[in-house]
Amino acid sequence: MPMREGTYGLLAEFDTPSQLVHAAENAYSAGYRRMDCYTPYPLEEAAAAIGFHKDYVSLVCLLGGLMGVAAMFSLETWISVWSYPLNIAGRPYFSWPAFIVPAYEWTILYAGLSAAFGMLALCGLPKVYHPLFNAPNFRSGATSDKFFLCLESVDPKFDLGETRSFLEGFTPASIVEVEY
Amino acid sequence: MANGHHAKTLPAELNAPAFVAGWRMKALAVGAAFSVIAIILGFLSGDGWNHFLRAWLVGLMLCFGFAVGGMALLMVQYLSGGKWGLLVRRPLEAMSRTLPVAFVYFLPIGFFMKKLYLWAQYPDGKAAYSQHLINAEQAHAIIFKKGILNPTTFWATSIVCFLIWAGFGFLLNSWSLKRDADTEPNVPYWQKKFENISGIGVVTYSILLTACAILWVMSLDPTWYSTVYGLQFLVGQGYAVLALVILTLIGLSNAEPIRTIFRVTEQHDLGKLCFAFTMLNMYLAFASFLIIWSGNSPEEIPWYLDRIRGGWGVIATLDVIFHWLIPFSLLLSRDLKRIKGRLVVVCCIMLFARLWDTFWLVEPNFADARRNLHFSVGILEYIAVPAAMIAFWMAYYFTQLTTRPLVATNDPHVAEILEPEHAHA
Repeated sequence: MPMREGTYGLLAEFDTPSQLVHAAENAYSAGYRRMDCYTPYPLEEAAAAIGFHKDYVSLVCLLGGLMGVAAMFSLETWISVWSYPLNIAGRPYFSWPAFIVPAYEWTILYAGLSAAFGMLALCGLPKVYHPLFNAPNFRSGATSDKFFLCLESVDPKFDLGETRSFLEGFTPASIVEVEY
Repeated sequence: MANGHHAKTLPAELNAPAFVAGWRMKALAVGAAFSVIAIILGFLSGDGWNHFLRAWLVGLMLCFGFAVGGMALLMVQYLSGGKWGLLVRRPLEAMSRTLPVAFVYFLPIGFFMKKLYLWAQYPDGKAAYSQHLINAEQAHAIIFKKGILNPTTFWATSIVCFLIWAGFGFLLNSWSLKRDADTEPNVPYWQKKFENISGIGVVTYSILLTACAILWVMSLDPTWYSTVYGLQFLVGQGYAVLALVILTLIGLSNAEPIRTIFRVTEQHDLGKLCFAFTMLNMYLAFASFLIIWSGNSPEEIPWYLDRIRGGWGVIATLDVIFHWLIPFSLLLSRDLKRIKGRLVVVCCIMLFARLWDTFWLVEPNFADARRNLHFSVGILEYIAVPAAMIAFWMAYYFTQLTTRPLVATNDPHVAEILEPEHAHA
């Protein structure tokens, strides 16, 4: 028998997205902050309900794109003007219109890769262990047809008994105490 | 459920709110004011109303773009489906019913074509060349392209195009009312019917638009040709129509019924479409420039040199800034697309950019202006005439908006659009 490390949080299971959003909004206004919603598909109102306003993926993507355009445009300029100048039909060495297409493609490439890897990094992925998978109903429902709200024990307002009765007010299908 | 996330119900009154009549009065007033200014400028400029006509062509291309481009986007949304399509359907139908205005605007161009088009002014290229009225390239082009660049073809092509578009517009508009009067089980029948006409319609539209763009605008300089020219107008029309339809919806969202059905999700989708058109527009314009720049052929580059040298480079650079850099940078932001007040600003910039771009396309075709950007009283016509024409067009458009309900009801998307936003995947 492994040693108990404590409670990660209380996991409430709902059958419909509306119930989840309702519970999440109330939990937020009751003062809970360390919590998360788990849904089988993106649910923007659930994110809004728990006070999730911004992520930094778009910023990372923008910076990646700017880096890509700067890198390629400078590379082309350096090659054509200083490193290996070629006279092509008498055109200027610094032929910026011709540089645009590769620079544009690198913008897309860098922005795309930054968005994908930036998203993974900001989500803390890859993650080899997450306590929620200790809950059997989470494993079977979170990716198919159930909507979960987890109030985490690190929240200063968290109290096992009070939080449980608070969640019971929203008539969830079940409430599971999740261990670490 | 009593938690504020329940589905909304469609308001009983679906007609345009009363303030649309106020918009129309304002449009008429603006139109009248700019007409007076345009006529005064016409007398002051002393150029035989040349700039007035050139500016008229710019105004025609913009209003025609709303009428025909609106119909094209209407067909595109029937083909693509999507809840955004339900929102824009009635405003786009109203735009497509403004085709008669575009036709009336076209008539002066036809009647006074000799003032605009070299090929109409000098039908006998050889004689004009021997009298040194035109140069050798122009004479060659006028003689070689006689088959298409002559008054008969110009009139015939234009009228055939208008008639075909009128036919599509009539069917799309009348079927839409019949569909709403029909019962719900017949929706698949109507969907198929609209898809079929729209598929043919979009292809026809792009071919006819290419013909009109070549005859009305590209042939101002008979020596130049570009196969992507019609497509650039096509994308430009989509660009302007989207901006205008967003402005219309945001304006109407101050009251029912649009307030109920205009969700942030669909506003965001329309903003994303604007972003796509901003990108596509720049892609085509730059691709055409890059190909001609790389080819560096004396037959092709003068068209760009006319529009870059002698001060025109400033206009061209600002065109890129207004048309692409500003809308592109702003529309990158997710918040901007979801906040009405900010999206309105971007849409206004986009419409202004269309005017600027058409000015840059038209004015340097003429001998007094090419490679020589200079101020004259006549150049102010480019503000006054299109402003008056667009204002009168708007008045007609607002009238059309009030003639039928603003929401097409016999569509499964109606139920979806009334759902709370989080319920959609």
